[in-house]
Amino acid sequence: MGHKSAADLRGLPPLMKTVFRHPPEDLTGKRYWRSLEELADTPQFRSWLEREFPAGAAELDGVSRRNFLRLMGASMALAGIGLSGCRRPEAYLVPYTKSVEWLIPGKAVLYTTSMPGPSGGLPLIATTYEGRPTKLEGNPLAPSSNGGTDVFAQATVLDLYDPERSRTFVLNGKPATAQQFDRDLENIRKALEVSKGAGIGILTDEQTSPTRDRLLRSLKEQFPQINFYTDEPLGFEEHQAAVRSLFGPDVAVKPTFANADVIVSLDCDFLGSELTLQGVRDFSRRRRVNGSTDGMNRLYAVENRFTTTGGMADHRLRCAASRIPAFAIQLAKKVASSTTDRVLNAVVAQLNATGGEFDDAWLSECANDLVARKGRSLVLVGNRFPAWVHGLVFAMNNALGAFGSTLEVFGAPRVKAASLRELAADAKSGAIKTLFILGGNPVYTAPADLDWSEVQRSIPEVIRLGYYFDETSGKANWHVPEAHFLEFWGDQRAADGTYLPIQPMILPLFGGLSQIDILAKLVALPNGVQAIRETFKSFTKENDFEAAWTKFLRQGYAEKTSYEAAKVELNPNALPELLKTVGQLPGPVTPSAIEIVFPADYKVYDGRYANNAWLQELPDPITKLTWDNAVLLSKSTAKALQVEDGDLVEISVGDRKLQAAVMIAPGHADYSLSLSLGYGRWVVGKVGQGTGFNAYKLRTIDAPYYATRATVKLVQKNGHKLVQTQNHYSMEGRALVREGTVTDYNKNPAFAKAVWMDADIPPNVSLYSHPPLSAPNQWAMSVDLNTCIGCSACVVACQAENNIPVVGKEQVNNGREMHWMRIDRYFASADGDKNNPHLEDDPEMVMQPMMCQHCENAPCETVCPVNATVHNEEGLNVMVYNRCIGTRYCSNNCPFKVRRFNFFNYNDRPVLDRIEKGLPGFQGKSQLYLGPLAPWGMEEISKMQKNPNVTVRSRGVMEKCTYCVQRIETAKISQRIKAGVRGDLTLPTDSVKSACQQVCPTEAIVFGDMKDPQSRVVQLQRLPQNYHLLEYLNIQTRTTYLARLRNPNPKMPGAGRVGRINVDESGDQRHGLPHTDTKPTGGNA
Amino acid sequence: MANIFPRSANYLPLKIIFCLLVLGGAISAIYWYYLTPEYMRAGYQPIQPVPFSHNIHVTQLGMDCRYCHSYVEVSSHSNIPTTQTCMNCHTQVKANSPKLAAVKQSWESGNPVDWVKIHQVPDFAYFNHAVHVNRGISCASCHGDVNHMDVVYQKEPLSMGWCLNCHRHPENNLRPVSQVFNLDWKPGNGESQQQIGLELRDQWDINPPQTCAGCHR
Repeated sequence: MGHKSAADLRGLPPLMKTVFRHPPEDLTGKRYWRSLEELADTPQFRSWLEREFPAGAAELDGVSRRNFLRLMGASMALAGIGLSGCRRPEAYLVPYTKSVEWLIPGKAVLYTTSMPGPSGGLPLIATTYEGRPTKLEGNPLAPSSNGGTDVFAQATVLDLYDPERSRTFVLNGKPATAQQFDRDLENIRKALEVSKGAGIGILTDEQTSPTRDRLLRSLKEQFPQINFYTDEPLGFEEHQAAVRSLFGPDVAVKPTFANADVIVSLDCDFLGSELTLQGVRDFSRRRRVNGSTDGMNRLYAVENRFTTTGGMADHRLRCAASRIPAFAIQLAKKVASSTTDRVLNAVVAQLNATGGEFDDAWLSECANDLVARKGRSLVLVGNRFPAWVHGLVFAMNNALGAFGSTLEVFGAPRVKAASLRELAADAKSGAIKTLFILGGNPVYTAPADLDWSEVQRSIPEVIRLGYYFDETSGKANWHVPEAHFLEFWGDQRAADGTYLPIQPMILPLFGGLSQIDILAKLVALPNGVQAIRETFKSFTKENDFEAAWTKFLRQGYAEKTSYEAAKVELNPNALPELLKTVGQLPGPVTPSAIEIVFPADYKVYDGRYANNAWLQELPDPITKLTWDNAVLLSKSTAKALQVEDGDLVEISVGDRKLQAAVMIAPGHADYSLSLSLGYGRWVVGKVGQGTGFNAYKLRTIDAPYYATRATVKLVQKNGHKLVQTQNHYSMEGRALVREGTVTDYNKNPAFAKAVWMDADIPPNVSLYSHPPLSAPNQWAMSVDLNTCIGCSACVVACQAENNIPVVGKEQVNNGREMHWMRIDRYFASADGDKNNPHLEDDPEMVMQPMMCQHCENAPCETVCPVNATVHNEEGLNVMVYNRCIGTRYCSNNCPFKVRRFNFFNYNDRPVLDRIEKGLPGFQGKSQLYLGPLAPWGMEEISKMQKNPNVTVRSRGVMEKCTYCVQRIETAKISQRIKAGVRGDLTLPTDSVKSACQQVCPTEAIVFGDMKDPQSRVVQLQRLPQNYHLLEYLNIQTRTTYLARLRNPNPKMPGAGRVGRINVDESGDQRHGLPHTDTKPTGGNA
Repeated sequence: MANIFPRSANYLPLKIIFCLLVLGGAISAIYWYYLTPEYMRAGYQPIQPVPFSHNIHVTQLGMDCRYCHSYVEVSSHSNIPTTQTCMNCHTQVKANSPKLAAVKQSWESGNPVDWVKIHQVPDFAYFNHAVHVNRGISCASCHGDVNHMDVVYQKEPLSMGWCLNCHRHPENNLRPVSQVFNLDWKPGNGESQQQIGLELRDQWDINPPQTCAGCHR
């Protein structure tokens, strides 16, 4: 009798090492790629792919083995001398002397607060341990946010503990005391009484603090001649000017995305740098497909560079920013002709624009779609376009019946303040003798032609309240350290007007003052909590003030305080006046007339976060660039200019010049450059030192957003090292992102289940035993690719929650970034033809959050020699730091490359300090390379941010996403404590939220218990578009994804190529490619 | 040719192997015994800044553990009493005792008393007091008969193996919740700890985690 294997007996194909042949990328279908190198398939890129970590990641740079041994020998000798015995050092328990109310050692106390911002406060909940705030999360109760936050709110807790924040008062360059400042302020106040405010100016940033407004108003009342100015480098001046002239003063116009079926964004990054939480959440709700695609909106984006908004678009058109006004006119003409709206027709008759470069079919069909959904459509334009463009767009929206439906007009009173430009004029005329600069950083951000630093110098007395001792402080008489918003009493109105408190979590660490403190002293009114209580009186109608106040603080907002709808309509008679400012429109961009655009930065915004290491290290959502900005341009433009990635160029606009590095960006408009603002600061801490290029140098009063007629000259080939996380951890040929259109979905809702390799899954047999998943809770996660905009708030939230260190530019370059979670950004070519010149220039973009997938058959576990990564019975792939010996086999075997290795002790060694002298070959490198000779220990102030429930990892240890196991355990323990000995141990449905889920402004990430049929994750994983990654490997991931759906307008040019990665034109989902060596016997195609 | 090696050299390798085995075994044994928490930590009895006697306060005066360690039932951390807690009584009682000098000084200066930490688990192990005391594990199971100690010392090794012993067999330490803070409790009515423990384990659905993530995060 012949020998039969067990597999034969079971009727299965013979067990052998199954070799999966990934389908070679189909050159005629749509291709997904992540960088131009990948697309080009260069040898350098090949060598990248071949390695687990990029070349050099596992080696000490520039150090030979011999040098390394020499170094280690020396350190061993030192260690021997320092060996003082094996006894554990004595530790102390230090209780309080007086008991602290509400404080339970070891237990988190949560407070509501809010974060001030130019477009309104952000409602937050601060987690504090023993009085230290460690983490900020969105306030789920507050009506305008519903629990999400943006990336800045996540990162700002690091600012609070920044060792380099301003700690002392400075008077004319010398340290001074708070008492001295108090005396000076009192003198100013006395002088005010006499002068009635003449000669005094107050320059503030844009904020919506009713208390600040109240104090400013009473200043004006007491001292009528006082002057107020406001400056926000990325503000809404133009938008507000248009609103003021068309609707009257003290109103605001806000989009209501919940009602919008069709949205056209004219370079309005409403899902990115111009984001409001309410807007993004409403938008994503209309994007989510839960059984039916009926309510899904459609987004058209016209922009010069890829923004996160453009990535979400169903149809995207590349267009130079300086041509957006012309595009708006063309679009308005189309809309006008089909709506026959009298006002709009009158307006467009007044306007003329050449628009030969725009695709007429695109314009017509876009306009038709807008008109077809009249009353449900919306046109938006970027904040910093000239006021007349806003006027034109308002007229267009008016014709489309948007007002009252997709656009609402609110009453939003603001204190009248002049602009920075007017302040400069007043200062030059000598009208300003004393200037208070509260917040902002005008020396750095002011338009270059304003020459603000000279203006500031000409003012006899400048008092500057600043969080850092920065460019502006250096040129002020008084520098006053500003308190962080977690240190003072304040208030804000949210974007929708809801009244929010700012509660202090901690006393000012370095005795800083708030804007309210200084203003209150000037008007001799109470500051602190009294000031806020006073303001709150006008926001409550309750008879019992104390009860209302308590409730206000407890829930973090005051009910029914949103801005009231204003009963004003667009005043058509004001339009012609506004449109008189059109002037000469910039012509089309050409190789000899290049434009340069100054967008807000996704990480440092206008430069205010330049010293925040979390944000600096966060990969830009689009370019994946860290620790820098760069001049972005399209491939064709780069070819025309003969430049490549990392080349240093000189950009001249008029007589202003700037040197900056270039980077080729797919999807960028031709002959248009983008350089984000906020980098290249010259008075900044060591985090921001030497990062990026200062675009403000080119920005002038007349060109706040884009400058035309720029010339570019190559200065140095490869002049600047740009570090991206883009090429790291690439996955080739796997259908990781799955995408289809609404039509595909309606044809087969489960279209994403069986794609490419997963179309025919052979019977999978595992050699290893499946972990016994016996626990009552089985954790799982669902990520909705359809609503993820790629804002990266989750990445920073994960960093804050899990004590993830920053590693510095040099280490990121070696592929050693430590983020547990990343967002993969893929570009999808609309057309696979390699000869298509637009292949690289005009792709689609998709985002995919990627973190440990918690595979049930986890490949990492089977290769760990010390059982440092194991499964627990709740389905978690657990990483045990104290067992890990750092072989990195697990990372090698992880199909998702989500494991992170501590190559150095990033927490205790000075990552950002450089080696000045000594060791040859090491100069200029990070002091990490000094190994044990480097100073040891974390800054005391940095320790305060760490989450006490998560281990701070040391060198030589692997780490990765834990599904926030500390939150799971806390929830389980609380339930057990609550239940005592008799109660129910079942966790309430959806009571555990992972950090990334909590902050997600679009609710794209949902975490929960797979075994609880009521939980949201179960509902989502049951949806037909749910799919597992790499299912054919039989790894059985716990994290699943919901396929991306696009909603193209079938009549649009190129509509047939939108969102068709996994389904070819015929609708056939299977790419009939060979799968395995064994004969497939089953499958679910 | 004469033999270079004497005949006895034939046994030399064996002798060397034997010696090495003995030596290796001895080193292992020494390591095994002397470097474990059982040897290194159990019995650790440092001198505290205040000669506070649990024996007097608990056994003689009948104070409850939770008078001072007030948050043990709600927090992961069992708090050390603040100076204020001491002064609640000691402004009246033995106010001038020299033994209380450190406490008085702390109260007057506002500087805390630095108590020496005795029971210490590594930073990567997260022990939660509240869940243990609420589910029938007495203070005495880990801390010993503190109520009879004049100077507190570490009774148990608090090693991982020791923790797991109880997590695998919680019945050896479970007791009625009402008796958790009665450190002298012994099973009565002729019942054994095992019997009571098993009964309670079933009744209360006690299922302590044995997975790494239970304690290591």
